[in-house]
Amino acid sequence: MTSPEDAVTPSRGRLASRLLAGGREPDPRFTLANERTFLAWIRTSLALLAGGIAVEAFTGSVFDPLTRKVAGSGLLLIAALLATTAGFRWMRVERAMRQGRPLPLPLLVPVLATGGAVVAVVLFVFILMRPA
Amino acid sequence: MTLFSATALHQDPGLQPERTVMSWDRSLLALIVTAAMFLRWYGAVGPLALAPALLSAVAALVIHWTQRHRYGTQSAGIARERVRADAWAVLWLMTLVTVLAVLGIGAIWWT
Repeated sequence: MTSPEDAVTPSRGRLASRLLAGGREPDPRFTLANERTFLAWIRTSLALLAGGIAVEAFTGSVFDPLTRKVAGSGLLLIAALLATTAGFRWMRVERAMRQGRPLPLPLLVPVLATGGAVVAVVLFVFILMRPA
Repeated sequence: MTLFSATALHQDPGLQPERTVMSWDRSLLALIVTAAMFLRWYGAVGPLALAPALLSAVAALVIHWTQRHRYGTQSAGIARERVRADAWAVLWLMTLVTVLAVLGIGAIWWT
């Protein structure tokens, strides 16, 4: 049944109706906050993307060609993973908000934090051990 | 009508539409920087290296051209306490960045 309120407010749109079916419309502030969180992840992904290309392009005097390729494509792989995960997380959060469920935990955060710490330690050791 | 007599599109003290539109602006800038990075392969593959750069530039333009509409829609949504989730924008941006990353991996190993 359509309430009078539904008649004057916009529908979810065709794609959103399919992806985010059921439940109640959340507070619009939460929807916009979720969109900003998605964009923040996308910017992180773009930073890794640009960083991966930069590592491959500009570290010729530090690493041998294979290490450069592996490090660069590793960063690009994480960038792809982050972008995909960000999209799916946006959808899961939108669904959870509509159905009144707790928001899903961002599983990638501990993975990224651990990965970043490991890379920092490896680089630190590499710089220390590198012959002058 | 002067700027000072203009009616505000919404009354949200948290300025949610402004923050969201600026977040899109920051993403647009990041996209342009990433697009420029692909020119690194211009020497190896020639004009083909322009393809991902052009793709990103077109995406950046689309974001820029839809900003006014986005701000209007979001402000109206805040005013009526219901906003449409922009699933299309999320899907195409997610796909674009993923495709760019895969293209980068391909370029690293096959050039």
